[in-house]
Amino acid sequence: MQVMDIQLNNIQIMDKLNGDIENLAMKLRGFIKDQVVGFKKKGVVIGVSGGVDSAVALTLCVQELGKEKVYGLLLPEIESAPSSKTLGAEICKSLGVAYEEVTISPILESLDIYEKKDRIIKRTCPEYDPGIHKTSLILPDFLNQGLLNVPYIQLIKDGESVGKYRLKASDYLELIGLQNVKQRSRMIVQYMYAEKMNYVVCGTTNKTEMVLGQFVKYGDGGVDIEPLADCYKTQVYALAKYLNVNEEIIRRPPSADTWSHYTSDEDFYWRMPIHVMDQLLYGQEHQMPVEVIEKNTGLSGETILKAQRHISRIKDTTEYVRATAPIYSLDL
Amino acid sequence: MEPIKNDILDYLKDNSFMDTNIGLEDNDSLTQNGIMDSIGLLELMDYICEKYAIEVPEDMLTPENFDSLQGITNLIVKLVK
Repeated sequence: MQVMDIQLNNIQIMDKLNGDIENLAMKLRGFIKDQVVGFKKKGVVIGVSGGVDSAVALTLCVQELGKEKVYGLLLPEIESAPSSKTLGAEICKSLGVAYEEVTISPILESLDIYEKKDRIIKRTCPEYDPGIHKTSLILPDFLNQGLLNVPYIQLIKDGESVGKYRLKASDYLELIGLQNVKQRSRMIVQYMYAEKMNYVVCGTTNKTEMVLGQFVKYGDGGVDIEPLADCYKTQVYALAKYLNVNEEIIRRPPSADTWSHYTSDEDFYWRMPIHVMDQLLYGQEHQMPVEVIEKNTGLSGETILKAQRHISRIKDTTEYVRATAPIYSLDL
Repeated sequence: MEPIKNDILDYLKDNSFMDTNIGLEDNDSLTQNGIMDSIGLLELMDYICEKYAIEVPEDMLTPENFDSLQGITNLIVKLVK
């Protein structure tokens, strides 16, 4: 027991997350193969976003199944960063994977998504001019000031923030519903291809996102297999390095890329550096004492407790995102 | 202060997951007792801004100011002044 306590007190979380990556990659490849075979499918369709998660998932699929059994889809829309498409195409080309670009803008336009979004931004930010402003959704600082999850629309002109306005609850809810149509449209397109080819749809959600509910239910969460969903984002970066993923993709700040101004996950979802968030999540998962998390993160005990309460609130709020539809069981 | 507290209590009874059969103490945590989630918090914020014609500055958006009946009441009293 004493030996275990000493081990726990000296644990280096980052070393733990960055360790044994070769073995992890091997297990994930085995998982992909088993699931594809288990579902009696012939290969994998994967949405390639130009981000590190899809790059890692794509590489693992190609290594395990062969490039002929993997199909990449680039699914941009008007507000996507141009680099999403170029980096996505680059990784498909470098792995020799067949891919196709299907823009989802017409789906979004048919549902008036852009117009409805603009109307909400306009009534929230009176000075908003779509001709000159880019927009993003942001939350106030958490780690340094401990502020609540209150969303603001930020206006950006020539790369500089020129104003931010608090969103009303009803507008926030409508906006989230509109934004999520983007990921849900991508899911529709991916299944259109997967069913035609008799392939599975491979998800790219990692454990950090899964635990925090940072994905869209029946959107990017609507997939057949999730090879990375038990790997923290830190582990995905370690896998990316091990798999020699393009440095530009690794260095790119992670983002859902659904706002005209590229909004990083660090600014919106995590509100702290990813290595801190992952260490806090790991500490909570393994019920580590605060003093051990203090040693690892360099944060004060008070900040850690606040952050843990903040994470618990996020987990509670996103419970329904992770839940599958409950089924009423007949006692027959 | 009491009218404000009663007003917020009435709001919570009508608009939150509060069990009206169980009393709410002034310093009970609204989130830890499952009375309020983050969306409920945004709705409450809209309500108090409109009802008391106030705007909550960003640096006052702390859990301490919004997680209890007493915290919310104190915040409104401070901002109405």
